[in-house]
Amino acid sequence: MDPRNFLYMFYGFAAAWLILVVYVVFLALRDRKLRAELDRVRRMVEDSEKRVP
Amino acid sequence: MREKIIFVLAGICAVILSLDLYKILLVLPNEKDQGAIYRIIYFHVPSIITGFTGFFVALVASGMYLATRNLKYDAFAAAVTEVSLAFATVVLATGMIWGRIIWGIWWTWDARLTSMLVCWLIYAGYMMLRRAIEEPTERARLSAIVSIFGCVDIFIVWKSIEWFRTQHPGPVLSVREGGGMAPGMEAPIYWNWVALMCLAAILVMVRMRQEDMSRQIDSLRRMAHTY
Amino acid sequence: MPSFLRASLTIAAKDLRSEFRTKEAFNASFAFSVVILLLFSFAFDPSSEQLHDISGGLLWLVFSFAGALSLNRSFARELQNDCLDALVSSPAPTGALFLGKALANYALLLIVELASLLVFALFYDVRFAKQLGPLLLVILLGTWGMTVIGTMFSALTVNLRMRELMLPTLVYPLMIPALMAAMTLTTDLIAGTPLGPENLIWLRLLVGFDIIYTALAVVFIDIVLVG
Repeated sequence: MDPRNFLYMFYGFAAAWLILVVYVVFLALRDRKLRAELDRVRRMVEDSEKRVP
Repeated sequence: MREKIIFVLAGICAVILSLDLYKILLVLPNEKDQGAIYRIIYFHVPSIITGFTGFFVALVASGMYLATRNLKYDAFAAAVTEVSLAFATVVLATGMIWGRIIWGIWWTWDARLTSMLVCWLIYAGYMMLRRAIEEPTERARLSAIVSIFGCVDIFIVWKSIEWFRTQHPGPVLSVREGGGMAPGMEAPIYWNWVALMCLAAILVMVRMRQEDMSRQIDSLRRMAHTY
Repeated sequence: MPSFLRASLTIAAKDLRSEFRTKEAFNASFAFSVVILLLFSFAFDPSSEQLHDISGGLLWLVFSFAGALSLNRSFARELQNDCLDALVSSPAPTGALFLGKALANYALLLIVELASLLVFALFYDVRFAKQLGPLLLVILLGTWGMTVIGTMFSALTVNLRMRELMLPTLVYPLMIPALMAAMTLTTDLIAGTPLGPENLIWLRLLVGFDIIYTALAVVFIDIVLVG
């Protein structure tokens, strides 16, 4: 392979993958937050159901 | 079922990408002027095709929502738009890095670059709008309108690319009457596109599941507060 | 006169009449454009060549900022006393409501722009008498594009909390094709170049933009205002 501009090619590939990885991480974090919220709200519903038989 | 689809797609994506990377980095000959940097095209172009396909799909989904008022279409449109926005970011970043080497500048206001930036700004605005509206049907309705206007705008700017031949390289792919690439060099672009589409599909499915979860949270919350 | 047109003109007249009683928006927009022009004249030496290159950009920047000020209020002013609900539920079609508001905004914006143009000519010592006709044409077309999009999104964002933020965020990226076309044409015309084959394409872009977005806006305004 032609070694000219190899470093920037590497930067380019790295940028592309980094952006996608950051997005996946962002999705994963949001997933965790949503699951926690879902559990919390489910517990809230169960609690209020117990209180009103 | 969904998990299985995701695994299959991930497998296909990984295989294609590894084969392509091998080919791109080790097998392919050099382009005469650019040195190694031209190989960025193998992610730049597939990303843009994936991104634009996504925005168009979001347009169709938004239209379907307005026609049927089924919120599933809205969830799909939002998911696809967000994933396409990520790919659009990749396009801008790889484009700027390439431009830094080839043109010596990080940015220039030519038609193609400007249109990509405009596209990014429009759909970033779409995501901001969605965050600003809490009521689901209002959010779906208004963001559908933005999606439609945005896609039309992209199309207008895209068309202007055909008229303005400026700093950005003209079409080189054979499907667009280019003919600037040897056939062996062109294939990885399409294969990478398939891989990226698989990746996009996975991300959209994950994102849609998150939309489902949000909706469940909303309805459960409403139920909890009625007691 | 068909009732659609009559309804639009009535609404336009109402808006203009209410605006000219207080002249709030007009004064704010005009003062703002004069301030920007003044500031720029300090930043750049008014007699230099450099200025003639950026004249189109500067003018349209001023016009679009002035526009944002007045377009925001377009539908927002109807929120008090449920006027918006009254207008929407009136027998006049929502397309007429939109067109009326757009015409009123257009007239107002044109007045501000022509006044700013005079100020610009004074401060920056620009002579454009040669190309005055085409220049006015470009201003008319460009302003209509701005007005149509601005009015549409003013309706869209009317009920949002963050209306003042969301409107520019959504509108500016969409307007970029029209702004680019208008800026390029204006720079050329102010420099004295007549409308020729090289810049006619921008004019076509501007006309196309106006037609497409006017059609889209009239079609979709119902969904935005009524649901």
